[in-house]
Amino acid sequence: MINFFKQQWWKWLCAGMLIYILLAGMMIPLGPGITSIQPFVFKADSVHTFTIKGYNTHFAENNNTQVWFKAGQEYFCTISTKVISAEEVQVVFGIPSSIASKINDNNYDVVLNSDNDGTISLREALTLVKAGAIEIDSTIEAKVTGCKVEVKHNQTNAFVFPFREILYESIRNTFYHVPMWFAMLMMVIFSTYFSVKYLQTGEAVNDNIASAFVVVALLFGALGIFTGMMWATFTWGEPWPNDPKLNGAAVGVMIYVAYIILRGSMTDEIKRGRVAAVYNIFAIVIFILFIFVIPRLPDTDSLHPGQAGNPAFSKYDLDSHLRLVFYPAVIAWILLGLWFTSFIVRIKNIEIKNL
Amino acid sequence: MRKYLSLLLMLVVGNMLNAQGVDTLLRSNQKIYVVTAVFTIILVGIIVFLFIVEKRLKELERK
Repeated sequence: MINFFKQQWWKWLCAGMLIYILLAGMMIPLGPGITSIQPFVFKADSVHTFTIKGYNTHFAENNNTQVWFKAGQEYFCTISTKVISAEEVQVVFGIPSSIASKINDNNYDVVLNSDNDGTISLREALTLVKAGAIEIDSTIEAKVTGCKVEVKHNQTNAFVFPFREILYESIRNTFYHVPMWFAMLMMVIFSTYFSVKYLQTGEAVNDNIASAFVVVALLFGALGIFTGMMWATFTWGEPWPNDPKLNGAAVGVMIYVAYIILRGSMTDEIKRGRVAAVYNIFAIVIFILFIFVIPRLPDTDSLHPGQAGNPAFSKYDLDSHLRLVFYPAVIAWILLGLWFTSFIVRIKNIEIKNL
Repeated sequence: MRKYLSLLLMLVVGNMLNAQGVDTLLRSNQKIYVVTAVFTIILVGIIVFLFIVEKRLKELERK
């Protein structure tokens, strides 16, 4: 390991990959999507004009732009659709109360098809208020219900990151927040490996490497918590929602803080090494329990993707474009962790020689 | 001197974070500035770490 620490090639690899994830992660645009519709409340039995605002969309006149409103399983057409600009569409829509009363759902999704952007939608964009006594024109009923619905569910062809409601551009944090925990986990696994090696061989070098890995793991843990708090404030509304994954991660970090304190409290070198190594092996078991097992218990409900029984990184959480940056990001942050560890290990080795 | 400087820095950063304007800024432009904030946190963490490592190195050099 010491020889590996002194090699250069993986440090260049790490630097290159970090530059790649920063550039690719920030410069690949977000896919098209609908951000808002005005007004978002409407009454049955009257005709309204709605303005749909898109983001990174390319609406154009001869682009087969079609809009539907979806409630329950029913699709309704618009009376007319007019493209205002590349990111704005105006539609006229109304629904007779005779149809609306048959549907239990008062929340209407907006679904939009166009050749450039594929199918984009905004869930529960509109709320129907059941009011209005005026009998609606019967031609409107025919227009709204009697059309052919061809939702293509196709995707845009451009190389983009997926557009997700609430997340929007902050989906890029997948490359900066999530790999912190992967790096911490890797550092902790390496640390355990060297603790086991120390117990087998009794060489002080292994104990030093193990503790250096824990220090870097704590750096990543702290960064993971603070970046997570920042991201959570703007997606979940508060920095620390009551989420089993968050509390588990906090306890996991605390376990390793305790490792550093425990190791620092002993002066006898052999005793310190052995106690720290044994504690470290217990610590990783508890760490994995808190990070991976408890958030997945059936009666817990986590805000994080892939919790409560579902495997993480399903096709819904990460699409192929995100993966192209995410996997290099995980490797790059782990390599950076190894680089940092090498500093501490080398300093500690000099300290031992000087004593 | 360093104590006063860090105190001043904390006051400035604290005031900035309390301001309503920062909240509006971070939510603007489809929350792109949240990514900037997250990356800044990581950079600050790494720089603090490097300073701590350097402190240990300085002690070694003194010996």
